[in-house]
Order: sequence, then C-alpha cells, then structure tokens
Amino acid sequence: MASRIPREWFGIQQFPAVTQSKLHELLGKLKEENVSTLTILLMGKGGVGKSSTLNSIMGERLAPVSAFQSEGLRPIMCSRMRAGFTLNIIDTPGLVEGGYVSEQALEVIKRFLLNKTIDVLLYVDRLDAYRVDSLDIQVIKAITDTFGKRIWQRTLVVLTHAQLSPPDGLNYDDFFARRSEALIKCIRLGACIKKQEFEKSAIPVVLVENSGRCRTNDNGEKILPDGTAWIPNLVEVITVVISNGSKPITVDQKLIEGPNADERGKFFIPLILAFQYFFVVKVIQKAIKQDIAKESKPLWELRDMGVANRKF
Amino acid sequence: MAFCGQRLSLGAQIPLSGSARDRRSASAAASASAPIPGHHLKCVLSSAKIPSPKFPTTWTRKKTLATFFSSALASAAGGGFLLHLSTPVPPPGNTGGGGGGGGWGWGGFGGGEGGGFWSQIFAPLAAIAREEDPAGGGGPEWDVHGLPANIIVQLSKLSGFKRYKISEILFFDRRRGTAVAGTEDSFFEMISLHPGGVYTKAQLQKELENLASCGMFEKVDLEGKTKPDGTLALTASFTESTWQSADAFRCINVGLMPQTKQMDMDADMTDREKLEYFRKQEKDYRRRIDRSRPCLLPMPVHREVLQMLREHGRVSARLLQRIRDRVQKWYHDEGYACAQVVNFGNLNTKEVVCEVVEGDITQLVIQFQDKLGNVCEGNTQLAVVRRELPKQLRPGHVFNIEAGKQALRNINSLALFSNIEVNPRPDEKNEGAIIVEIKLKELEQQSAEVSTEWSIVPGRQGRPTLASIQPGGTVSFEHRNIKGLNRSILGSVTSSNLLNPQDDLSFKLEYVHPYVDGVYNPRNRTFRASCFNSRKLSPVFTGGPGVDEVPPVWIDRVGFKANITEAFTRQSKFSYGLVMEEITTRDETSSICTHGARVLPIGGLSMDGPPTTLSGTGIDRMAFAQANITRDNTKFVNGAVVGERDVFQLDQGLGIGSKFPFFNRHQLTLTRFVPLKQVEEAAGKPPPPVLVLHGHYGGCVGDLPSYDAFTLGGPYSVRGYNMGELGACRNILELAAELRIPVRNTHIYAFAEHGNDLGSSKDVKGNPTEFFRRAGHGSSYGVGVKLGLVRAEYAVDHNAGTGAIFFRFGERF
Repeated sequence: MASRIPREWFGIQQFPAVTQSKLHELLGKLKEENVSTLTILLMGKGGVGKSSTLNSIMGERLAPVSAFQSEGLRPIMCSRMRAGFTLNIIDTPGLVEGGYVSEQALEVIKRFLLNKTIDVLLYVDRLDAYRVDSLDIQVIKAITDTFGKRIWQRTLVVLTHAQLSPPDGLNYDDFFARRSEALIKCIRLGACIKKQEFEKSAIPVVLVENSGRCRTNDNGEKILPDGTAWIPNLVEVITVVISNGSKPITVDQKLIEGPNADERGKFFIPLILAFQYFFVVKVIQKAIKQDIAKESKPLWELRDMGVANRKF
Repeated sequence: MAFCGQRLSLGAQIPLSGSARDRRSASAAASASAPIPGHHLKCVLSSAKIPSPKFPTTWTRKKTLATFFSSALASAAGGGFLLHLSTPVPPPGNTGGGGGGGGWGWGGFGGGEGGGFWSQIFAPLAAIAREEDPAGGGGPEWDVHGLPANIIVQLSKLSGFKRYKISEILFFDRRRGTAVAGTEDSFFEMISLHPGGVYTKAQLQKELENLASCGMFEKVDLEGKTKPDGTLALTASFTESTWQSADAFRCINVGLMPQTKQMDMDADMTDREKLEYFRKQEKDYRRRIDRSRPCLLPMPVHREVLQMLREHGRVSARLLQRIRDRVQKWYHDEGYACAQVVNFGNLNTKEVVCEVVEGDITQLVIQFQDKLGNVCEGNTQLAVVRRELPKQLRPGHVFNIEAGKQALRNINSLALFSNIEVNPRPDEKNEGAIIVEIKLKELEQQSAEVSTEWSIVPGRQGRPTLASIQPGGTVSFEHRNIKGLNRSILGSVTSSNLLNPQDDLSFKLEYVHPYVDGVYNPRNRTFRASCFNSRKLSPVFTGGPGVDEVPPVWIDRVGFKANITEAFTRQSKFSYGLVMEEITTRDETSSICTHGARVLPIGGLSMDGPPTTLSGTGIDRMAFAQANITRDNTKFVNGAVVGERDVFQLDQGLGIGSKFPFFNRHQLTLTRFVPLKQVEEAAGKPPPPVLVLHGHYGGCVGDLPSYDAFTLGGPYSVRGYNMGELGACRNILELAAELRIPVRNTHIYAFAEHGNDLGSSKDVKGNPTEFFRRAGHGSSYGVGVKLGLVRAEYAVDHNAGTGAIFFRFGERF
C-alpha cells in the first residue's frame, strides 16, 4: 500500500454533521469487520465526472476538474485517514480516445495499479447520456480483460449528473430505471457474464450529483431529486458491496498481462506429441498403405500380374 | 527380290503426357510442373521385326501395308482332303510371273494333295518402292498405248518399251463374278500400283508376281483395257483362297518357341510316304499347340472373332486377314506394340489357330551414350536406373509400350539425363523375343550459372520510380550425381540489389543424399541437409481494414536444416528432421526491432505493440524437430484433379534456444477433390465437375513467438483479404469449398471460405489481432475463371461486404 503515511481526512469536516455521523458509523461498521483500508477505483469514459466524484467524496478539491477538457492524463491516488481508517480513491483518465478504447490509457492505469489491492470499482457514467452503444461494451470488455470477470462482483455503477429533468413525459424514476437497466445489460454483454450468474449478484446503481447547484436538505446534505442524501448513500452501498463475500482484487503482474498462454498446457506437450504420433501420423500412414493397395492399376499391369484370366 | 532387303523401322515419337517435371525448377513447390525446355525426350519404339531371316516383316510408314499370307494351297487335285500342317519353304525367288496356271506364290505344293496350310510368312508387298514411281499425276512422260480403244490386252501382250499410264484399277472376283467395290477393301492395300501412275511392263509384271505370291489368291491375273485417251484401265481378276468353314478359334502365344523346321517334301515320294509325312506334320503342329503358352487375348475379342467365323461360313483369305487385323488391333491398342500375328495354322479343320508372337522380353540392356551418340561408360550406377524401371520391362514379361513410357517418366524424374530412349528391339538369336534397350545421355555433372536481372520495386502509391530500379543477380553451382548415386550438392547466392548486396543477400546450400537404405533396398529414403536464409514480411504485423499502414516487420531467418524424406508413392511422403535457426526481426530501416508499432491517431508511432520475438530482444535462436506427413492420391481425370490430399505438419520445440522454447505447433490440412460425375477417362473427353472441400486446423501449445503465430486471410487462407488481414492467432480453423465446372478446355469456379481464430488471438503475446484492430475471423465468397496458369477471380469480403477482382498464379489447393 501507500508508502507514506496518508494525511488526515480533513475534508470530512466540511460535510454536514448528519453526513459526518453517518460516515463515521459506516466506517466503524467496516472496522468491526476488520477492514481498515478501503481502496476505491474510479473508471469510465472521459468527461463523465470521475474526478468530480472524487472531489465530492473527499470533500476537497483534489483532482483538477475542467468542464471543457480532460485534465487527468495519468491516474492519481488520494489517501486520507480518519480514526485509524484509511480511504484510498484512485482517479483514472478517461478510457476512450478517438472512438476506440485507448490502450495507452489502459496501459498507464495497469502500470499504476500494479501491486495495489482494489476493494471497489466505481464504474462512472452519466445519467443524462441517453443511449448505450458498442463503445460502452468495448470499454466494459477492456476493463474485464484487464482485471478479470471477478471485478464485477465488486462494482458499483455510478451515474452522475443525477439532478436532471428527464426527457418529455418520462417520470424520473422510470428514466432512471431504464437507463440503469440499459447500462447493466451492457456490462453483462461486455463482460460475457451469464444471465443467471449475473442476477445472483446484481450490480448496484448509485446516483451522484457533483454540481455545486445540487439541492440540499434541511441538514445541509446534498440530496438527489428523490430526497436521499447521496454521499452517505454511496458509502453505504460501498460497504454493502464490500461485505458481500467476494475478495478484493489484487493487481499483480499476472493479472495485468493476463494468463500467460505460453505456459498453458506446456505440461501436456509430451502427451500431445504421443497422441499425434499414434492417432494422426499412424492413421495417415495406414491410409497411404491403403491407397497403394487400392491403386487402380492399368490393365496391362494386371495382365502382367496374371490376374486377368483372359477377362479383359 | 527387292523386299528382302527392306527393313524400315517404325519410329514412334511418343509425346509424354505432361508428366515431365523439371526437378530443378520445382525444387520446393511440388505443384509446379513445367515441361523441360532443354531436354529432348524421346521414346523410340522401333518396330519389332519378326525374325524370320528370309522374310522380314516390313512396314513402311507411307502405306499401311498389311502383312500377307503366303499360302500354299494346293488345289485338291488328288484325293480327298487331308490335313497338313507345315511350314513351307518359301523359295528365294518367286515362281514365275503369275500367268494363269497353277503356279502360286511360293511354296506351292506340286500338284498336290489337299490340305491347306498357312505359312507364317509375312510377305511384304512394298516391292516397288514409291520413289521409283514416276511422279503420280504430274509426270507428263508417259506413252500412249497406241492400240485401238476398248480392247482387253493381256499383260504379256504389252510392249516392254512403253510407259503406260494406269488410269483405273479394278478388282474382279471371278468366283462371284463381280467387281470388288470400294477402295477400302483389303485388296487395295495390297497393290502398290495406284491410279494415275505411270508404269512399265516389267513393273506391272512384278506387281503381278507380288499379288500372286501374297497368299490371298488362288489365282490372279492382270489385264489392261485400252482407253480412248491412251491410258490403260487395269483389272485384276482373281480367285480368292478359301478353306473349309470353321467354328472354333484358338489363339496361342508362340513367342520364344523355335520355328518349326521345314521338311522338304520330295517330289517323288510315294503316296504312303506322303501320308506319313502329313501325319508327322500334323503331329508336330499338335505338339506345338500344346507347348505354346496361353495368350493375353481376352474372351470378348475371342468371341468377336468366333462371330466373324460363324457369319462368314467358308474361311477365306480376306476373312483371315480381317481376323488378323482384329487381333493385332487389340494388341496394339493395349500397348503391346511388338505383338504380331505370325501365322494361321490348322486350316481346313474345324478350328482356326492364330499364332501370335506377343513380344516377350528376353533381355534388358542399359546403355550410356556420349554427346555424339556413341556408346560409352556411364558415371551413373546402373542400380539407380534399374530401380526406376517397372518390373514389366524385365525379362520374362511381355513388352508393353505403357511400361516403356513409365520407365521413361521414372528415369526422367531422376533429372540425371538429357536424353532417354526406351527402345524395344528384336532379339536376333531368339525368334519372337524382344531386347529392351535403354539409352541414356548423361547431363554434365557440374554446372555453374550466373544470371542477372533488373527489378522494379513499386514505391509510394504503388508506382515505380527511377531510383527503385535495381540490378539483381544469382550465382549458383551444382554438382550432380556424385559417385553415380544421384547425390548432389547445390548452392546459390541471390541478391536483388547488387549495389547494396548486404541488404538482402539470400543464400542456399543443399546436399541431397538419396537411397539412404542402399540403392538395392526398395525403401526410398532421401537425406537432405541445407543451410538457408530467408527474409519475409511478417503478416502478423498487418493492419485490419481501415487501419492506416502498419510499419512492416521483416522476419529474417538463418539456419541449418537436416531431414530424411521417405517416399511411399510418387506423391505421398513422410519427412522428419531437425531445424536450427536464428530469427531476427527488423523494421523498415533494417534495424532490429523488438515490438510491433502502430501509427497513433495523433500521427506519432506507438512502439508498444506485440513483442516480435520470444526473447524480447529482437533475436531468437532455437532448435526444433520438424515432421511432415503427406498423403496424396490425387490424379488427373481428363485434366481435372480428383482424389484426396491430407497433410499433417508438426514443429516440436526441444527447449533449446533463447528462453528455452518448448512448444508443439501442429497443422492438419485435409483436402478432398470429389468428382460430381463419372466420366470416361480418355484423351479429349471432358473433365468432370469437381467439388473441392478443404479444411485446415492449426494449433500451438507452449511458447509461441509472434512470427510463428498462424495468420488468417490471404490467397491461401481466406481469399478476398490481404495476407494476415483477419488476424494472427494461436489456433486456427479454415474451411473452404470450391465448385469447379469445366468449360471448354478450362474451368470456372465458385468458392466460399471461412477463417476463424477460435478465440485464440488473445493467447498470442500482445494480442496482435486486437492491437492492429483486426476482426479475428472472416468469410468470403466469389467466382473465378482459370486462364492457363493464371486465376482471375472476383471475391467478396464478407466482413466489409465489398468485392474485388484478383489475379493469382497457381492453384489455391
């Protein structure tokens, strides 16, 4: 883990008291389960609000955010400590570049994550993006290829820009349901997870609103259109996901490079060789012998062999 | 007589049916079949002369001169018919000019007792060589007969000093009282005169003698009829020789049997002696039949002849001639070029016995000739040639022209001789026997060659520039047939740019050692060792559709290879050996590169592509075992390939080399050529439509450097795509079907192909398929036409849905 001692989490003090107590309560619950560090990885396409989410959770302006261009070209990790509990959040650059999944970005992320353990992946997308397309599937696929299918058991889908008015005639809840359903389906396709398996451990979808214009409730907590305070809600869902029994993902060389196909089955080569000799080479040899025996000889040769018997 | 001295040989130039393959030009690609330009191949089959010293068979090329029987049939003047079998002694000369009388060809039995017999004499007719004839129509120099028109003139009445022009020739059958119609009749083959010719009286008389002696006629006479225009119309009136009808036929092989000795019959034998004599002859003949061997003539032809006998009633000379023609035709059609009907015996009985000499081989002689055609001592060991000969050419077998052709082909495939002749020749010491002579002219043992060429390399946008014209050249040497055992060393150095030869110098040094198990061992194993280098563009580092040009990666290989090839048949073989090689990967500038590169959208190069080598340094060294077994029973049916071809290839890493590569890389290719229609196999017949089914599976377990990955796409993988356009993978499956329909003397075809990486692209280090944005699978379909060696085809790429026209050399399968 991080070599230097993380700084104290002062940002938490900016949150309203209700949020603070809720967070303390959740972290305490985690500590009871012997979890003293929490590493959250934020991933998603560019410009969906990964860095803003980081800033919102931490309560500090840690990652530079700009509305008009991507700022984070390399991943950053922010670590904060509070009452013996360490919270790490890793922000990553957007995965899409020029209409393709940027392998360069993926490569950088992989290298950055080497020898780190990821507790939760927050897959970030916007709520107000109406459609999913093949690019989303490709992004999901790239993430799956990098971390393995297992990562999706430790994933939350985070939809930013939650404070929106849905397009004509749609109820907000309906819209949210349909949007999240589409995205979840996309994840299922991209990660090639079987339907039943997927339904067993459903990926929770959480709404986030990073905007400064976010409404607050009486306690000063930032709330979603439905009135829930989203920061405690997000942390709560995270704790639920952590405690669902799956293991955190440790990123090591092997995981990054994928299973080494060169090593697979090497042990069986002598067996394969024996099989090839007895069941391929020998079979072909036998077929050649049959060919020679069956070869239709010209009549003159048959007559010479004395098998004609004056029949032809 | 003139014909005695005539011995014209019939030389047949036998064209080799496309099987002459130049081994040198087809060194690696077994499919390349090219007629040898410089070689002179010839199969001379001289006619087998029937070794009757006095009466040689004579064939001329100009006219099919049937052989003639000489019969010495005595008209049954005396008592009843007795059967006599004998071989007459043909008198050296001829009995008098065939005036009417009883004088009859040769060998007439004086006034005799009945009993026809046939001599085995083939009297030639080509007495008057055509050259002697005054030119047929063109010669104005003939004399008017000077007689009143439309009178019949006896031959003897003609003037000996005049040259008569014969305007017409007729045959008149006295027995039937009709003229023989149609010039196709066998009689016309016999007469050497032809209408329009100019002849003297002496020539006409000689002709008459010939006719009389040929055995066809009991009686024959020539008469002239004067025509108003001064020419003569010649009428040959004849009585045909006939014998009593027969209802049985027997064909015997009298080859290698001594000719029956002729016993002269004394003119003043008593009746009793004569009886004794005939009886003895009959007994002799019976014994001869018993001792003769069965002949090859099959039952269907036998029945055909019987039918002829039955239909005809009386056995006539013409009938016998037809029987002989039929029997001989069968032999010659089947390739028994030396077979001859030599005699009909047992006439005037119920059974006609046809004596055949089939052409038994008594000796096989292999001769070497120098450049001038003189017999010389050859460098090649005889066993090398002998093992190529079919056993049907060995003594004790009947000579067949097909066996000769096969010998020719086999010897030619040795590529040791510039001229090969397979020549059957009659054995003088043994009647009816054949000596097979194989005459070989050896090629020079050593040869060296230097050739230069200009090459134009397409530059940017595919257009050549002046600077891209490069001089290139090859230096090669060859030492063939070392120790006379067909071992050879050959080396060559090639550079396509002589100005900068270090850029791409390719060399090859090969040693070939055939007959590893000994030249007398029928097992045919060949040892080969070679040093080689090669430079190829790697199809692994190729972009998918819509990807900007990918910087090329060159794969240089330098190494040593040794293997043993065992040939089971001409096409099926098994080879196994060892390969040691160093592989260097280079980029465009010939500097070593370690990873593939890709142009980024921003314009820069991303150098973090898949690694090019196993070691990661750009240079790999490895040793591995290699085996290849090919089963190929394809053959040509009227020009279309039909049959099955299976190839299994295996590269087994031994853990020797950089990073201790241990792998098992295997490929299995199955191809079926299914004829969709049964067709008759013969020259000129149309080939059948053929369905070609092709499957190729390849896989690799263990270490797999990118240059050994299987690539998808290309003219020999999935047509319609570029080489490697579909991906590079660890496991590969390709399926193809092609339907070939013959049109005129070529064929059109339709095909569909599919290639799939079986999801194994990600198992290649660095996933080059995805890195270069390739699909990993793809199908194509299209149609094409074969134009000589070139295939023109329109192929639709199923991934993009677009089609394009391609021109390719050679066959896909």
